[in-house]
Amino acid sequence: MSDILESISAYSGTYLLIGFLLYCISFLLFVIAITGKKWSGSEPEAHGRRWGKIAFTVAIIGFAGHLLFFFTRWYAAGHIPTSNMYEFMTFLAMMIIFAFIIVYLLYRVLAIGAFALPVGIIILAYASVFPKDIQPLIPALQSYWLKIHVTTAAAGEAFFAVGFAGGLMYLLRTIDYRSKDKAARKERRWAEFTLYVILIIVAFVTTIFSFNAAGYKAVFEKQVTVTGKSGQEQQVTQQELYVLPPIVAPYDTDMKEMTPFLGIMKEPLFGAPSWLKGASAGRKLNTVIWSVLAGSILYGLLRLLCRKPLGEAASPLLAGMDPEDLDEIAYRAIAIGYPIFTLGALIFAMIWAHEAWGRFWGWDPKEVWALITWLFYAAYLHLRLSRGWQGKKSSWLAVVGFLVVMFTLVGVNLVIAGLHSYAGV
Amino acid sequence: MFENTKCDCGHQNPVGTTLCESCGKPLLEHTGEAALEMRYDGMARRSQKANPNPIDRIWRFFSSVKIAVYLIVITLLGSMLGTIYPQESTFINLDPSIYYETEYGLSGKLYYMLGLSHTYESWWFITLLMMIGTSLVICSLDRVLPLYRALSKQQIRKHHHFILRQKVSYEGPLPESHADRPAAWVEEAKAALRRKGYRVHLDGDGTALLAEKHRFSRWGPYINHIGLIIFLLAVLMRSIPGWHMDQYLAFPEGIPVKVPETPYYLVNEKFTVDYYQEDELVGSNKGKIVPKIYETKAVLYTCKANCDDPNLDPEFQEVHRQDIIVNKPLIYKSFMAYQFDYEETPLLRAVHVTLKDKIAGTDLGGFDLSMTRPKSSYNAGTYILELKGYFPDFGLDDRGQPITNSKDPNAPAFIFVIKGPGLAEAGEPYMYFPREIDKERFRQDQINGAIAGKLELGVNSMEDVQISAYTSYLNIRMDKAMAYIWVGAAISMIGLIMGFYWQHRRIWLRVDAGTLALGAHTNKNWFGLRRECADVLAKSGLTVDPKSLEKADEKKTDRQSAKFKGGPES
Repeated sequence: MSDILESISAYSGTYLLIGFLLYCISFLLFVIAITGKKWSGSEPEAHGRRWGKIAFTVAIIGFAGHLLFFFTRWYAAGHIPTSNMYEFMTFLAMMIIFAFIIVYLLYRVLAIGAFALPVGIIILAYASVFPKDIQPLIPALQSYWLKIHVTTAAAGEAFFAVGFAGGLMYLLRTIDYRSKDKAARKERRWAEFTLYVILIIVAFVTTIFSFNAAGYKAVFEKQVTVTGKSGQEQQVTQQELYVLPPIVAPYDTDMKEMTPFLGIMKEPLFGAPSWLKGASAGRKLNTVIWSVLAGSILYGLLRLLCRKPLGEAASPLLAGMDPEDLDEIAYRAIAIGYPIFTLGALIFAMIWAHEAWGRFWGWDPKEVWALITWLFYAAYLHLRLSRGWQGKKSSWLAVVGFLVVMFTLVGVNLVIAGLHSYAGV
Repeated sequence: MFENTKCDCGHQNPVGTTLCESCGKPLLEHTGEAALEMRYDGMARRSQKANPNPIDRIWRFFSSVKIAVYLIVITLLGSMLGTIYPQESTFINLDPSIYYETEYGLSGKLYYMLGLSHTYESWWFITLLMMIGTSLVICSLDRVLPLYRALSKQQIRKHHHFILRQKVSYEGPLPESHADRPAAWVEEAKAALRRKGYRVHLDGDGTALLAEKHRFSRWGPYINHIGLIIFLLAVLMRSIPGWHMDQYLAFPEGIPVKVPETPYYLVNEKFTVDYYQEDELVGSNKGKIVPKIYETKAVLYTCKANCDDPNLDPEFQEVHRQDIIVNKPLIYKSFMAYQFDYEETPLLRAVHVTLKDKIAGTDLGGFDLSMTRPKSSYNAGTYILELKGYFPDFGLDDRGQPITNSKDPNAPAFIFVIKGPGLAEAGEPYMYFPREIDKERFRQDQINGAIAGKLELGVNSMEDVQISAYTSYLNIRMDKAMAYIWVGAAISMIGLIMGFYWQHRRIWLRVDAGTLALGAHTNKNWFGLRRECADVLAKSGLTVDPKSLEKADEKKTDRQSAKFKGGPES
């Protein structure tokens, strides 16, 4: 028996890849189900139903592959695979697909597939940037509350992701791309900016992959004085490894090794400013610059291809949809996610913190940001239920809310270090 | 301003009521067919009282959801500020007035000067939390009481305006088959609604109906708020002296340490650490030393006698014994000890010293010498050793005077005066370094001079030496508010689930002269409600598209403006 499990587990990564590809196919099928209504000659309703069914089935099979990946990796590691950034992000993506499945079953709206699936796909692609090794658990992570806290929090956040997709759908459906008045123009600009941010993430993943595949490498070194626990000082050499060509070198370091980029760029264009001296700050800045550059190029190319704002290009996917239904889908997803998020990211986190560190709340940056997320959605719900903020305003909040979620998950680790820093970026 | 609040049906409503408490007729005659504002069923609330006195004004301020949202947003932004740089509370033994400037420069200095280095303990942050608490109490009371009154005395036959101006509504003739038998039709609708889980009430003549389900979900938000209030109160209670304690202490193996502010002593009897094997590590961890598990065998004592006398051994009584690992703290009553960190600190704890006659090569006698609690005199055979000075961490200051660098026995040194046969009457001084390395470094034999030729203190074998190899750092905590914190969190969670996973749905039906009027309301998930209404109508032969039941979009704007006319604040 264990032999079989062993050999099944050996292909853990392959199942994930299959899942990923099936999600992509399912996304395309959903797009065909919506846009093909006109060209397929058959009755539009029947066409939508048939292709929608196929698309959804493919998504379900992909999800099964994803689940298989999750459990085989669990088996291989001996602990639940949610303990580093790679594992957490793949899990989050899995939960987003799960949330998509639930919301799709509730509303049976094809467009959800065309918008929620890509969110899961991008998160999954983003996960693959992080090191995939199975790592041993440090003592602080050896608690079953870890499993419960991380999984529940991710499930809640996944519904927020679907809420984000719903909000974006509402906006693209209702934004007037013909009107010349100021408010409409402002709205278009922000919607475009949201899509641009998404493209930056896509570009980030793509650049990292391309340079990794090309085997690109640059190394910087720096002497630092470290003070040990008992007070003695030591000189240590710190190395900084770049996988992207260094436009920015880390502050106050020596270049040890660098593959020339395009044969032209043989040394960094400039050094990081002195205030960016935190751990790996220079490298992170470099990555951000690359992502924005590549994202802008990607956006420009798509813009050239469509010859109109990307939001306008995507809006036919939503033609004929009732905006109020979209608004409700976004709200419903958030309403389902909110109690789950409260339980997972706050209450279970408090229980675990109490068990592990003896205080249920320590104002650690990650904890604070979980609270900020919670407060943000609390404001969203109060504005919606008691102040009548529905439609546009509510959709913008749903979009911004997910940005807050992503900052809590990724930004905090990237920018602020704290107790949760062992999740590592 | 005088306002007539008497409804056509004869019911006298309190000022601020928007829908008649009895028949539901809209009292504020703004025209149009826009969907009604159904919040709290149009009941008047205390905060809408005319001619408010100062207390009413405070009440009105805190009962406003707008203010509550402002408070939430300000707290949210304030919390963000606190995450820019690490908070002071994350450091142990650190001078914040220097740290922030040296570490982050000018912005760090400003951060510290603005008090953001302790954002979450600052007066303004705590004030915000208290204001949120007040807002929770007042908002809830202001709404839950009218809502309770409205829902507990609902009239079945509602005014036509009320029914047809619901967001989901329908008006049309009864199907042919029932055209002249309205009561029979209503009876069938009742059965259909029952199957969908509604509780159905018919009015006297059987031509009007109220169907309702999951009313309890309306109490969800308020139960959630009660939980949050308990939670916030519990957090505040932690500042009562004796309710909350938090300190980090070092426990070298085998040495009892008094825990300040408690009656307890804690002994780390043995500390063990296991590391991951080479083959268990992969990737970036390869070749590193990663601890797998570390454990402190801890015993908790109370002191019975001789607690403060340095010359007498205190009498301890064991009260609790437990192994502590990360995630498994020692818990005894409200006393909690968490594994926090450890350090390899090979320290001498005690030695069994033997006094030797250096010339004859014989042992003269021995005694136990503790590095942490040395006594003032010892007997070794016929010799008496009086302790004149003890330096746990021996060193010399600028003028060459002996000092101790710390309280930890890193380099213990003892100055004895030895009295006995063959020595001067007043005794002769003898300096003793138990550690061989110190003995050579500080040249013990040269310091001692002549006596070093005659007598020597030393240990015979490693069995005579007790070492504490590790110091375990424990985080000692006491938190008497925890029970309330968990109760608050649990109540809050129950409220959230009630409120979010069920929806309160109501359907009103009345038949007048063969014409059916249906209105339906829910607090969320209109999609589901529409479908249920359409299903019920379909069962009795009226086919309608669920979507067509809902009021069209453009009318919503009217509803918004109606709201602002409706009251000072909702």
